[in-house]
Amino acid sequence: MSSREYSKKAAVAPGEMPIAVKDDERDDVLLRRSAKGDEEAFALLYRRHQAPLYRFALRMSGHPWAAEEIVQDVFMTLIREPKKFDPERGTLGAFLYGVARNRVMKHLERTPRDLSLDEQSERGNGIPSRVIERFTPAEYAESRERSQQVRAAVLELPVEFRETVALCELEEMSYEEAARLLDCPVGTIRSRLHRGRALLLAKLEMLRDAPRRANASR
Amino acid sequence: MPADKQFSGDAGMTCEEFALAALDLDSAADSPVLQAAREHMRHCSHCEALQQQWQALRADLRLLGQETREAQAPDRVEMRLRQEFRTKYKTMKTRRAAVAATWALAAAAVLLILVSWVRWHNDQTRIAVVHPTTTNAPQDTAPQSTGPATPDELGEVLVASNSGDFTLLPGSVPSALEDTTVVHVQMQRAALGALGLTVNEEHAGDWIQVDLLVGDDGLPQAVRLPQTSN
Repeated sequence: MSSREYSKKAAVAPGEMPIAVKDDERDDVLLRRSAKGDEEAFALLYRRHQAPLYRFALRMSGHPWAAEEIVQDVFMTLIREPKKFDPERGTLGAFLYGVARNRVMKHLERTPRDLSLDEQSERGNGIPSRVIERFTPAEYAESRERSQQVRAAVLELPVEFRETVALCELEEMSYEEAARLLDCPVGTIRSRLHRGRALLLAKLEMLRDAPRRANASR
Repeated sequence: MPADKQFSGDAGMTCEEFALAALDLDSAADSPVLQAAREHMRHCSHCEALQQQWQALRADLRLLGQETREAQAPDRVEMRLRQEFRTKYKTMKTRRAAVAATWALAAAAVLLILVSWVRWHNDQTRIAVVHPTTTNAPQDTAPQSTGPATPDELGEVLVASNSGDFTLLPGSVPSALEDTTVVHVQMQRAALGALGLTVNEEHAGDWIQVDLLVGDDGLPQAVRLPQTSN
């Protein structure tokens, strides 16, 4: 999904005042205006990019509070050092992803690996109602359990596999987009996805077998 | 490595090749690689089972993705960022204003000093008291060397650029040249009589400009009448 699509989505998000998103206002133009003190230009940039960054941080860290902190840090960097972004080297979206990745890595280094199974954003973004409606209560409970297992398995993946899975599987980016954001060849993305998938299957196997093994040992 | 490159082709697909190609099996594309992968899956129960597991996992991942599809940073993040933005640019504006004010103050101070100096310099030029060039006395000592006859008392004291045609007053004794001062005064011609000079009575009441060479005792020693006054 491109940043432009994000901007349109952000502009009509429920509960938000609709903002005049001008498609011809490129990110670098907005950033220049923002660097001169134009608050609305900055707000426009923020709304255009915050959602995918937040989701990425959330899926990588597993904690809404950590994702919130990471997104805030990313845009603080943009406020304090706007000249760090060089349009010659890539898009603003890719730059922000890069900053977000660094913040995620720092977060993962300094926090112990604990898994948050309560991944609800503060806008009531749990399982969408259209998904819930498809299930009976028993199916929903089973689906919820599976979902939690998958989330736990994703969060246990090594970082490079986790970010590839987060971008390609959860955010549904193409391999090319993910390669651009992670600054690596498409082949690397494919290879990481392949290995990540194998690891995920193995971890899920372990997670699903754990209760059975516990019952058998009694 | 892309599956297209990995796949050797003729001899059918190996399980390893299948594992890479299987990443794209769900896609609508129908390349020879994918056809070969599907063919391999029909004959290899291990890969078929793996593919089914992967498809189940993919469905779970999609569900997980849907759970957070609409996730966005809370509004308070934008509020905090806006606050930070305002603080930064307000501080910058304040700093710029302070710098501008400092420069303005400095410029005003320099201007004031310059104006003061020019005025002082003009005053110094206008009220300069110097020794005449014939005395070879240093000009800057002139105001102090006038003795009892101060410039205010004697009228405007000017630099004598050419004082060579002074006439000694009767009865006066020339003193050392460095002790004399040229004083430029306006007086009635009759007053020249008091200095011992002959005065044409027809013009006795005329006002004339006279240069007096005054000694350090305050008494005039010589007089010079500018030509227009004759």
